[in-house]
Amino acid sequence: MNHEPYETLAATYAVGALDGEERVEFERHLAEGCDVCEATLRESAEALAALARSRPPMIPPPAVKEELMRRIGTAPGRRGAPRRRPLVWAVGTVAATIAAAAFTGAYVAARYEARLGQMARESAALHAKVQREEAALQEQVAVYRNAAELLRDPQAQVVSLRGLGPSPEATGRVIWHPVNGGYVFVANLPSAPTGKAYELWTIGDAAPQPAGVFQVDASGRGAHRIPPVEGGKPVKVFAVTLETEAGVLTPTGPMVLASTK
Amino acid sequence: MATIGADLVRQMAAGDREAFAVFYDRYAPVVFPLILRIVRERADASDVLQEVFWEAWRDAPAYDAARGSPEAWMVTRARTRAIDRIRATRRRSETFVATLDEGIAAAPRESAPDAAERAADRGTILSALDRLTDAQREVIELAYYAGLTQTEIAEWLKQPLGTVKTRIRLGLERLREVVKASP
Repeated sequence: MNHEPYETLAATYAVGALDGEERVEFERHLAEGCDVCEATLRESAEALAALARSRPPMIPPPAVKEELMRRIGTAPGRRGAPRRRPLVWAVGTVAATIAAAAFTGAYVAARYEARLGQMARESAALHAKVQREEAALQEQVAVYRNAAELLRDPQAQVVSLRGLGPSPEATGRVIWHPVNGGYVFVANLPSAPTGKAYELWTIGDAAPQPAGVFQVDASGRGAHRIPPVEGGKPVKVFAVTLETEAGVLTPTGPMVLASTK
Repeated sequence: MATIGADLVRQMAAGDREAFAVFYDRYAPVVFPLILRIVRERADASDVLQEVFWEAWRDAPAYDAARGSPEAWMVTRARTRAIDRIRATRRRSETFVATLDEGIAAAPRESAPDAAERAADRGTILSALDRLTDAQREVIELAYYAGLTQTEIAEWLKQPLGTVKTRIRLGLERLREVVKASP
């Protein structure tokens, strides 16, 4: 038979466009063994590969390689050439393989579930921490903004606090408004021991009035809103003492800061 | 050139994962743009790429260097899998013509000056497809990149089937010559 028609079929086959009966016929021709057509297909494949190579290369998303390396890492090892085995052996092997696969699957699933659970917990904890920190920051920002606002008022005054006794290095400033109250900012104050807190006092003509408890951060800084004094009575002295966490009504602990007269 | 790739496939056949990693780094950047050109969506292209390399790992023991370079082995496989993917999509969506239309419209041929410039930049041959006549290039692109069969191409171009066959054959012969002539 004339080979010429096969050359056209081979070209069309090489670009994947051969269909219908012609395809069936060509595949039969190939199966019978045809060096000429084999060579045409081989050269065409090389030419199309060269065409692909002549285009600019592109790096694929890294996740593809990661996934592949994971897949081949967990794939069963290579098997040798298949051998004929007695059926019993084959059945036994298949059963063992299925059992092993089921066991491995369950084990892997359990491992992953445990790991996922742990990750979910860590993630939730982190989320809560971030929320707490954000809330604290918001609060701080609000304090500074309000303090700055207060300073614009000509009636506001700034009072210095000096460290006393146990914490001579400590310093403080009170921004005070006779009607609206104010803020105290402290620095270099050691963290209060567990269960304790710093308490601010406003002192006028009468007994010291409690003006709230506060803590300082690790760097010794703290800020605290001071409520207005009842009836707008003048304050002559601001003082800070170390008290129990909940605060007390009359000062009992050591005085750590006081305004200079 | 081919021997490094062939060695890698041999090592892969022996279960060498390191060889597979090197093989991937070497051929993925070549076949990925081909797959992307055919399937268009990056996510789909990534899926097909993974499938193709997975098969390469699986089929490495069957690779026969006498039958072609590892590059041709991978490119042929990549093209086939990418076409499988778009054919499946077309069957599902039943918007064969619309998809095809869009696909062809979305893939404007590179203009000759660009190709020449790039070839000069990379010190490589001018894209071999640019050496074909427009009619030859058209049928090869419709077959190879759009996955149309000869019958579909004839319908699409409203040309006799015999004309389509001849163009494919001449175009592919030209392509083989160009590639053989280049270093």
